[in-house]
Amino acid sequence: MATDTNNGDEFAVGCLLAIKTTLGEEFEGQIITFDRPSNILVLQEGSKTGPRRNVRFLKANYIKEFNLLGQAEDPLDLKKCYLDLNSLQAREESAIRQAEIEAERIGVGVTSEAQSIFDALSKTLPVHWDKTAIVVMNEVRVSSPYLPENVTGGTPAANERVKKVLELERKRLQSRGQN
Amino acid sequence: MGTSLENKLYTGKSNPGKGVLNGSNVGEYENPLRDRLIYLTMCLIGYRVEVQLKNGSIYSGIFHATNAENDFGIILKMARLTKDCSFKGQKPISDSTSKAPSKTLIIPAKELVQVIAKGVPLTWDGLTSGVQRERRQDIMTDSLISQSQVVEVERELEHWTPDEDGPQCPELESIFDNPWNRNWDQFEANKSLFGVKSTFNEEFYTTKLERGPHMRELEREATRIAREIENEETHDLHLAEERGLNFHDDYDEEARFSSVLRGVDDSGYEESEDSALDSHNSDTFGASSGSVISRSFSDVVRGKTNDGTHASSSSSLMDEAQFTQLNTGRDLCHFGSGDLAKQLPSDFVSKSFTALEGENRLHENRFREQNSGNNFPKDFEERKNVSEEVQPSKLEDAQSTLNLKKAISDKGGLSPSATAYDPSSSLHSKGQDCEIPFGKASDSTAKEHDATQPVNSQGRPGSSTSSTSECVGGTSALSGPGLPPTSSMGSLSLGKSTLNPHAKEFKLNPNAKSFIPSQTPLRPSSPGAEGSFYLPPNATAVQHIHGLPVGIGIQPSFGHQPVIYNPQTASIQSPQAYIHPSAPVYGQQMILGHPRQFLYMPSYPHEMPYKGSDF
Repeated sequence: MATDTNNGDEFAVGCLLAIKTTLGEEFEGQIITFDRPSNILVLQEGSKTGPRRNVRFLKANYIKEFNLLGQAEDPLDLKKCYLDLNSLQAREESAIRQAEIEAERIGVGVTSEAQSIFDALSKTLPVHWDKTAIVVMNEVRVSSPYLPENVTGGTPAANERVKKVLELERKRLQSRGQN
Repeated sequence: MGTSLENKLYTGKSNPGKGVLNGSNVGEYENPLRDRLIYLTMCLIGYRVEVQLKNGSIYSGIFHATNAENDFGIILKMARLTKDCSFKGQKPISDSTSKAPSKTLIIPAKELVQVIAKGVPLTWDGLTSGVQRERRQDIMTDSLISQSQVVEVERELEHWTPDEDGPQCPELESIFDNPWNRNWDQFEANKSLFGVKSTFNEEFYTTKLERGPHMRELEREATRIAREIENEETHDLHLAEERGLNFHDDYDEEARFSSVLRGVDDSGYEESEDSALDSHNSDTFGASSGSVISRSFSDVVRGKTNDGTHASSSSSLMDEAQFTQLNTGRDLCHFGSGDLAKQLPSDFVSKSFTALEGENRLHENRFREQNSGNNFPKDFEERKNVSEEVQPSKLEDAQSTLNLKKAISDKGGLSPSATAYDPSSSLHSKGQDCEIPFGKASDSTAKEHDATQPVNSQGRPGSSTSSTSECVGGTSALSGPGLPPTSSMGSLSLGKSTLNPHAKEFKLNPNAKSFIPSQTPLRPSSPGAEGSFYLPPNATAVQHIHGLPVGIGIQPSFGHQPVIYNPQTASIQSPQAYIHPSAPVYGQQMILGHPRQFLYMPSYPHEMPYKGSDF
């Protein structure tokens, strides 16, 4: 019964299932499709109306157990399925660009505290990473452990400013941490 | 790249925009379910997804490609480990030091457990391109819309329908019931729960409503008036939209619903007379303001003809509203004000005028008409004489008006009297121009209020009264044979708002030449000819009369220059008084007419052009 009904149920597009995975995750979803050769089950989760959905591609091997909750109609309206390759490409490119920009902001091999300081400084000053040192306004460097005395370089005025901002941010982080 | 996947599976087939991809190479039969998988996979491209591996670790990255031929392997770009469940440790990433994201990460099918994506569009409606579709789905802020070149088409507005699976709260329905249906009194509840007693008395904040036998009548009257106002024709785009009149379809969404309209044209008064006035005004005020002045002038002129006895035309730019008030009585003094006139409350004007007897005016008019051939100064004098004759009889009236004027001048602001002008002979001869007995008006006023108008402090024995009457009469004198009908006046006497919704906004012309009074023989020595400004009776009103520009077409040599009444003459060093029509914000810009001249340039370099809309 297991395999048969498994297959039978998993075939039926639109079925509502409650699934428990071998990794301990539980969720519910509506079947959009099931591909036998690769054993991939695609579920739609949530009740969002509109074109945007939450989708889950699950390898059926990892289904520990499931329940059939009900049967609904096909969640995918085939008449509205289009693929514009150009827009796909554009979308991917812009996403990658965005991710690269964000990656710039993350220090490699730095502690999360350092990262928080970086994020806090970046709110008001132009900062970027140089290995594990924070470079502010291309002049002032703040190296580990990112204390006011670690602020070096730049004009005295800029240095002072960075020191002040650093102190403030540290204080703020401390108070927030205590909260 | 996704395309490679496609090519792999569908040799030579590229169906962008088609339905579900079919014709997979895998297998000899059509597998719609598989096609769906391919389609859904391709929908993921470019979105950030989370991939869970066999060991529980989770990677977050941008979906790039999949190898779905036999199994389901994935390629991610810019992937980072968000949950590390490898042998190294089960701690969350945040504690350990961060690592750079992988440019490309290949996850073999054997490792893959699941791929989770949130907020991925799976379907499209319409034929818009993908990029546009993406953009449309973003929230569009106002600035985005106005800046973006892409959004030319109006957004498709959809009726709001409640979510089917939204929370249904039947108990909340009763909130929208009528207050007297709800069986809950908030005040009672407050009193009982917290001992808070309400001390609200409606009459503290509004006029006491007399609910008596006349209640219904009053109500009816009020609704009638309200309906009248609401159904009024308007040229203001936003007002029209409110009232449901849709007459401008060529504006975009922003202009229709949100932006402030500037430079609204007074489109209702295109008459041929404007052109003549325009030419005179243009060199003074520049094109735009000139036309404004001329227009107002012609409006004023037209308005005057409604007066039964004579077509009174105010040569000054006058607020139409003012006109109404003025005209309701037999007012004949007109104050040019351009846009500023809008702010000029009409009440004081009417008051000042009603004080004056029409008879006196009539007298003046006749006198004026007789002098059609004379030049201005002479006229002035003669007028003055005439007025002096009638002075005694009018003394009282003048006095009251002058007092009022004084009050007004004390408060500052442009006195409408400043705009009073004497439509003297030149007007008649030209049929278009208007003389502005402005000086006269201000003169008289000045005389009365020496203290407040230092600039104008030239003794004018008796001229004040006379000027007043002159002012009054003068305007009536404007009524000449060749004057256009004062349709504007007619419209004004409807007791409606005093603001002129049609007045064109005054645009400061920085290039206009400053008027420098020359000691020309044109004005030989008429001390009385000095600015006899007429002060409006209502002091407070003056506050709003910022720079009533009096469009005056005295003589060709003077051109059309407004006369400005400014009680704050102390600030003026030069003998230049001017009306700055565009100074509603600070009514103190009115400068009392210099005794020696009564025509002034409206352009004061320091003042900011008025860019207000209707008040």
